[in-house]
Amino acid sequence: MFLINCPYCGERDQSEFSAGGEAHIIRPKQPTELSDDQWAEYLFMRKNIKGIQFERWNHAHGCRKWFNMVRDTSNDKIHAVYKMGEKPPIK
Amino acid sequence: MLNFNTTIIDTKEYSEIEISVIEPILKINLRGKNRDFITKIGKELSIITPIDPNTSSSNEKLNLLWLSPDEWLLYSNDKIDIKDVNSLEDKLFREISKVKLGSVTNVSDHWIMINLNGTKIFELLSTGCPFNFNNFKNSKGAVAQTLINHIDVIIHNKNFNDLNLFVRRSFSSHLWSWMNDSARFI
Amino acid sequence: MSKDLRITNSKFIDQTSRISFKFDGKNLYGFKGDTLASALLANNIHLVGRSFKYHRPRGIMACGSEEPNAIVQVGNDTSMTEPNTRATEIELYEGLEASSQNCWPSVNFDLGAVNNFFSPLIPAAFYYKTFMWPANFWKLYEYFIRKSAGLGKSPTEPDKDIYDHRYLHCDVLIVGGGISGIMAAKTAAKNNLNTVLIDDKNILGGTTLFQENECFKINNSYSNEWLKKEIESLNSLKNLTIKTRTSLAAYHSYNYLLARENLTDHLDLDEKKNKIRQRLWKIRAKKVIIATGAMERPLIFNNNDRPGVILSSSIKKYIDFYGVKCGQKISLFTNNDSAYETAISLNKCGVSVNSVVDIRDKTNSLIVKHAEKLGIKVHWKSTVVNTNGYKKINSIEIMKLSDDGTNVIEKKINEECDCLGISGGWTPRVHLFTQSGGKLKFRDEDNVFVPDKSDLDQISIGSCNGDFGLDDVIKNTVNLINKFLKINNNDYENLEIISSKEIDKKNIWLLPSDKPLGKTKPFLDFQNDSTANDIKLALREGFKSIEHVKRYTTTGMATDQGKLSNMHALGIIAETAGVKMGELGTTTFRPPYTPLTFGAIVGRNVGEFFDITRKTPMHDWHVENKAEFENVGQWKRAWYYPKDNENMHEAVQRESKAARDSAGILDASTLGKIDIQGSDASEFLNRVYTNAWSKLEIGKCRYGLMLNEDGMVYDDGVTTRLSENHYLMTTTTGGAANVLSKLEDYLQTEWPELDVYLTSVTDHYGTVSICGPNSKKILSKVIPDLDLSDKEFPHMTFKSVLIDNIKCRVMRISFTGEHSYEINIQSSYAKSVWEKCFKAGKEFNITPYGTETMHLLRAEKGFIIAGQDTDGTMTPIDLQMDWIISKKKYDFIGKRSLYRSDTIREDRKQLVGLLTDDPNEILEEGAQIVAETDKQPVEMLGHVTSSYFSPNLNKSIALAVVKNGKKLMGQKLFVPMKNKTINVTITDTVFLDKENKRLNA
Repeated sequence: MFLINCPYCGERDQSEFSAGGEAHIIRPKQPTELSDDQWAEYLFMRKNIKGIQFERWNHAHGCRKWFNMVRDTSNDKIHAVYKMGEKPPIK
Repeated sequence: MLNFNTTIIDTKEYSEIEISVIEPILKINLRGKNRDFITKIGKELSIITPIDPNTSSSNEKLNLLWLSPDEWLLYSNDKIDIKDVNSLEDKLFREISKVKLGSVTNVSDHWIMINLNGTKIFELLSTGCPFNFNNFKNSKGAVAQTLINHIDVIIHNKNFNDLNLFVRRSFSSHLWSWMNDSARFI
Repeated sequence: MSKDLRITNSKFIDQTSRISFKFDGKNLYGFKGDTLASALLANNIHLVGRSFKYHRPRGIMACGSEEPNAIVQVGNDTSMTEPNTRATEIELYEGLEASSQNCWPSVNFDLGAVNNFFSPLIPAAFYYKTFMWPANFWKLYEYFIRKSAGLGKSPTEPDKDIYDHRYLHCDVLIVGGGISGIMAAKTAAKNNLNTVLIDDKNILGGTTLFQENECFKINNSYSNEWLKKEIESLNSLKNLTIKTRTSLAAYHSYNYLLARENLTDHLDLDEKKNKIRQRLWKIRAKKVIIATGAMERPLIFNNNDRPGVILSSSIKKYIDFYGVKCGQKISLFTNNDSAYETAISLNKCGVSVNSVVDIRDKTNSLIVKHAEKLGIKVHWKSTVVNTNGYKKINSIEIMKLSDDGTNVIEKKINEECDCLGISGGWTPRVHLFTQSGGKLKFRDEDNVFVPDKSDLDQISIGSCNGDFGLDDVIKNTVNLINKFLKINNNDYENLEIISSKEIDKKNIWLLPSDKPLGKTKPFLDFQNDSTANDIKLALREGFKSIEHVKRYTTTGMATDQGKLSNMHALGIIAETAGVKMGELGTTTFRPPYTPLTFGAIVGRNVGEFFDITRKTPMHDWHVENKAEFENVGQWKRAWYYPKDNENMHEAVQRESKAARDSAGILDASTLGKIDIQGSDASEFLNRVYTNAWSKLEIGKCRYGLMLNEDGMVYDDGVTTRLSENHYLMTTTTGGAANVLSKLEDYLQTEWPELDVYLTSVTDHYGTVSICGPNSKKILSKVIPDLDLSDKEFPHMTFKSVLIDNIKCRVMRISFTGEHSYEINIQSSYAKSVWEKCFKAGKEFNITPYGTETMHLLRAEKGFIIAGQDTDGTMTPIDLQMDWIISKKKYDFIGKRSLYRSDTIREDRKQLVGLLTDDPNEILEEGAQIVAETDKQPVEMLGHVTSSYFSPNLNKSIALAVVKNGKKLMGQKLFVPMKNKTINVTITDTVFLDKENKRLNA
């Protein structure tokens, strides 16, 4: 059970959060102009990294804000959390 | 006349814990992002809008709880007549929502307010709540949104060992029974 | 009780309070402070169980959680009994009844013991190899294997005990209350850290508590006396919470730990009632200090499993702590110094020690010299090659070791004994450290794995960190704690410590015998009955990985999880395969450290608290009116209201007819309701629904379909424009939370530029839905001032009104196809409004109907239920709802996916109506639909999603999804069932009132 530092509320138990998959996938502004392949790339293709991964999380049972997290999937260490729209503090 | 029915009207006492439901209480959800919204609320309610996370501010009649960077819960200290709820809601809606500063939503019956009082209330909460109350306990006015036995709650530290807890109405009788079952063993 | 086995001066046993208990039906007694194991030993009972595979007699072997043999069934009531509990951990209480496991008819005469004689035929993986073929015989084999599998008996009735959970947050958690744990707790608490110390025993102090030996002294006192004062000094520390009888079960990442506290297990039977039996602590600690100590290892030699073979340190605890002699003529067998401590303790209590058999050449440490001075005989450079005695050891055979330790030489010496203490050195309890993700390193000099690296804020101290000498423990603990807590505590500076230091070390994983290996039984895993031979067999058969060998031989897979066996298994594998132990690694230590009861895991969430229930404001009315309830998500919804002796079908037929003939009333409060405000509210709705919203007039309602980005239908509902920038959205009951979360997601992440605010008002409003031709008349009685004419209040519009001064929103919308109204009112008044409507409708026979009738009525109209007729693979086009997709809108969620190559396929499964040839035949929901019945394998064209008998049409109707269904209109298909094949015809989805005349009736 992680202890997650919500960028708004501070450290909370993982049970207050829900995970939302890979971060920094931007919804295309003009979906109608994309080919099937391009759209599929946005819609279906996700990374599954052993190591540093960028993820979306939601403080679902707290402030209900979405935010991003940098997590090492090999040891579950959370390296950083940052607000939506912000640049990742770690490469 | 229509009858008023709340889910629970009861007070239960245990060793150093008193649990009671206090209704009807005014509750209004306020949402907005810009500075004008925050100033307007302060002006309309004569209350400072709390902008620090997990805090609240109060005056004689009302409490304003921070819920999120753009969301607050307003609630009355005491039981209140529905007419007064309506007029405050209408006024705020006119001054905020109508002029596109944010949103004003009456949630008086969305939440049920349960008051917890006594020196062992934090022990009671620890039976089902993952939140760390160690610092919260000693900070008057602190607010926490968390879970108690998987049910969403908002907890307002009104005074030392005196909490108001908000739970969605439909969950309230379940949480009430569960907390009473917990309290037997404290 | 055998008097001569109990000494009288134990400080920890209250010999004035006698406790009677039963073991295997025999009445026995012990004293307060005893464990079941110590009381049995005091009664000269060693034989307590039979081994798992060979049913060999087994006796108590240890004194704590690592006990492999003394696994007993507790409780005389077979419905409430508890299996697989360790006799060494059960505190004796008045009325305790326990019995041996895995033996029949009794532990003394066990028929299964015949396996022992066949044991050469039952090697490792015997079951895997034998019962593989012929494959269809498995059914037969399974019956017998199941009968002989498992250890205890599980109870047959629900657990009557009460269990509880608690969360705990602290600065420092210390696991283990031995000497190092106590020093750590004192240091942390004195430095203003909120500290919690837990220990699985009923008393703090670990093994130092009863270490009263000349060779171990602190400041001129015996180590136990010094420690006693330290323990007493803990009482004055405000920041310290001590929990005894609390065993750490699991150590997860982020210093999240689970510990089980036993609250009543030690109480007398009549004192247990109405109290919490066990509490599971969910601990979040900023820092964790592991001080779990070490376990003594056995030695692996021929017939090392006889009752009476006991770990040497356990013999010491039984005599020094419990005052129990494990025998009258005890021999000891060791490869290290600790057996000498046992010898000295026994000697002090007047128990004769035959000899110490030591595999080392000779050593001159302080404690060995002390033992020799007391006249204790030592067989140096020797090993035990065999033990004798069936149900209890009666002699050992000793031989000299060759120089390289691989052989035995010279003459065999026979030594009579009634107990053999064995010591193979010490294994740090690193289980918790590794559970938490910590990595171990191997220390070659004494063959131990010790903690190395961890990502968490934690530290291991004392013997679990590989410090075994008293002076090392104290010195290193002080240094480590100061560094870890970033403090400078000097309480323990300048202590004068006397501590015997072990000088010579020697280890042989598998001790040689005078017999060939195949003729010996050197047990490794006592509980699962695997021997060194099994390990060697596995290696010969090609297994290399330790994890594979473990599973093939089942070594370390019993309820003790190989606490005693794992190190030897590793050692033998390393030796046989010629690799270094450090390179081999260990098997994974998984939680829980000791088994947890299901009760402790579940806590109080049983019975009425098994699952969360949500209730509508009218719930009590439904109960009073005898509704049957259906679970919809967490909601309790009225399902149907049986009258007199009606069954469900009869009630639903009556309710459905009444709703269409006159009037019905439904509690629709569970629908999700979202209040939407903001200047971009219309634009927002345009983006989330498939249809257009900008032109919806104020006061009007519109049905909307919400898709996922993949184009599949996600949710639906009616949204009402309350004012220019104010909407009320409704969602399905089950989808409410997810829809709100999804919409918030888009607002926060994709469209932060939109000025829109969402607030859930699901619980704020109760919703009363009245439908049927008389609904207008009823509503006019409830709200006389409201103009209900079709012109003023047409279908799909809303009015804001007052009922007795309470604000209401009345929508004229319909999910049944009937003329229908929904009244939304603050929940506190909803029950009252419901009753008012019911009263007003009495003259029209207003009939309350539940979810089942609601589903039937909408099916007659071909309205879908998202989640029943859709399953996440249906596009609006598949649902024949093309009309709801706006062609003009540039974008909405899921739009682009509607013309992917897959979604435009014409032969997708599509929603159609189905009529059975026999109008009285009701299809089963989920039934498969086929075109041919004689082909194998038959192609499944689709399945039935909704099916009812319509009382209004007097025939059975169904909705189904069928491949290429749109083009199959009028086609005859088949629904094959178990006993028959049902003929069906594909039809339109709307069965009743295609022209929607009833909406305005």
